[in-house]
Amino acid sequence: MQRIKCRERENWRSLADEYGFKFHTMYGEPYWCEDAYYQFTLRQIEDDIEDPSAELQQMCLAAVERVVNDEVLLSRFRIPEDYWDFVNDSWLRGDKSLYSRFDLAYTGKGPAKLLENNADTPTSLYETGFWQWLWLEDKINANQWNENVDQFNLLQEKLIDQFRDMRKFQEDIVLHFSCCKDTEEDRGTVQYLEDCASEAGIKTKFVYIEDIGLGEGGFFTDLDDEVIEWAFKLYPWEFMLREEFSLFLEEADVNWIEPAWKSILSNKALLPLLWEMFPGHKNLLPAYFDDDERVNSLEHYVKKPIFAREGANVSIVQNGQVIHHSEGPYGEEGFIVQAYSPLAIFDGDKHALIGSWIVDDEPAGISVREDSNLITQDLSRYLPHIILG
Amino acid sequence: MKRTKSINLDRMRKVADRFRVKPIALGISAATLVLSCSSGRGVNEGEIFADLAACKAQYPQLAQECENAYQQALRVAEESGPKYASRSDCEIDFGARQCMNYRHGGNDWFMPAMAGFLFAQLLDSDRHYRAVPLYTSYSSHSPYYYRWSTVDGYSYGNYRYGRVKVHRDTFKPKPKVTKTIKRGGFGSRVAAKSKWGGSGGSKWGSKGSGSRSGWGG
Repeated sequence: MQRIKCRERENWRSLADEYGFKFHTMYGEPYWCEDAYYQFTLRQIEDDIEDPSAELQQMCLAAVERVVNDEVLLSRFRIPEDYWDFVNDSWLRGDKSLYSRFDLAYTGKGPAKLLENNADTPTSLYETGFWQWLWLEDKINANQWNENVDQFNLLQEKLIDQFRDMRKFQEDIVLHFSCCKDTEEDRGTVQYLEDCASEAGIKTKFVYIEDIGLGEGGFFTDLDDEVIEWAFKLYPWEFMLREEFSLFLEEADVNWIEPAWKSILSNKALLPLLWEMFPGHKNLLPAYFDDDERVNSLEHYVKKPIFAREGANVSIVQNGQVIHHSEGPYGEEGFIVQAYSPLAIFDGDKHALIGSWIVDDEPAGISVREDSNLITQDLSRYLPHIILG
Repeated sequence: MKRTKSINLDRMRKVADRFRVKPIALGISAATLVLSCSSGRGVNEGEIFADLAACKAQYPQLAQECENAYQQALRVAEESGPKYASRSDCEIDFGARQCMNYRHGGNDWFMPAMAGFLFAQLLDSDRHYRAVPLYTSYSSHSPYYYRWSTVDGYSYGNYRYGRVKVHRDTFKPKPKVTKTIKRGGFGSRVAAKSKWGGSGGSKWGSKGSGSRSGWGG
């Protein structure tokens, strides 16, 4: 694993306009960066990231099976009791998942460690599945690299395949796509998934989360009063289960992507449960609920809220001292504690985090984000990667 | 190769590239496609009836098929037909005394009466008989004034009974429509959390023209 500087494509900003990639610069800071890339060997990708990701996914599914059947765990996972059946039903029905992203600490040597599972509303999807793919295509087409250079990125292909598969069960039903207002990044991500669904022959329609209506008969509706029967939502289940319209989730009978059972996997309580179910697994870090006395056995650990996004409300503790802390609005549902695992560091201060994508329960590609901070947050930068050697 | 082999770049483009010349072959194949559709298996004939009795009278040997198809048309009308909060709203689009109150499963609204139904044998493997509801308007303000329309606004010409060519979308499932009571029941938590509360300004408006837009005058 190396970080290598390179020249930007001269026309990438106009290409971004052409393809509608609007959030390459966010909050006035560059987000997409192609003045460098990360390089992996095929062995690193396959042995250290791809195979462990496939195994982690199976372990996660085993954890869901355990939680849906255990009321103590459902409480610890802060799934509201009124929705235990709702979550369990989606699991028993086998509602299909579209995608997830594992965040892994990996330095190029030794096993990758699971930091968390973004199983419900993962983003950086467009940048990964399409934009970094296009970057490599352009480099190869410009003869800067030959065909030996590859990338671990089957993401778009697998997303379209999975939509095609889902379509068999939803023949001729419109798939509504939804995210919150006023975020170009989320809207761009959802637009990308709409494009993938269209490519799979699905009819799509968009409605903002805030615009979803409650119709007579207990249905959810879009702005044209059409009943929502099948919907992708880039909006977390932990919110959806606690808002006014939650009461109607059961009756509305929407086929949701991601399905409700993903509320178990997107939850940081998963980390202590995995460690309990698979103690000492090479790709896991020791993790406990924060009221567990075994926390005291950890010298260097990270404390994370059970529900949080983009690295908010995270503290890093070393020998009893908080050495790093990020602010945020989360934490009311409790915390978990996970042993600290260093990220790969390049050029002094660039901490690289691997995102390993899962589609249809199989590894589908990776993304690399880097941050000057110890905690990767929403101001991190996205860099493309290649496989060589 | 560990990456996606090919991507349909035209699908991914969000800005029409004015300088890109489309290959002429595309145009030809598209034209061929249209021709083969209109002369081929995609199109068949159906017949418009005022009611169940008319269907049975025309096809005594298909009485059961008429019955099943008619019931199906009523179901489609219930689920996907135009719905209004008040009788007057409905009558503005469909004319005086053309609308009825409909209460079902907590619903309470006004719908135009089904003025007829289109009965056709599908050319699929089962060769089933199917039907969809048809509406007409007695309001001179309506684009469907004395014309037939399906629930999604496709017109089957002037308001008269008899044989017509079936449009290929007619028997595809229609979106269900219901009266929205309120909005904004999702998204409240997000407003309280910082990440989503930021600026950004989306201009992807998507309200667009809905299935209902064609009913008014």
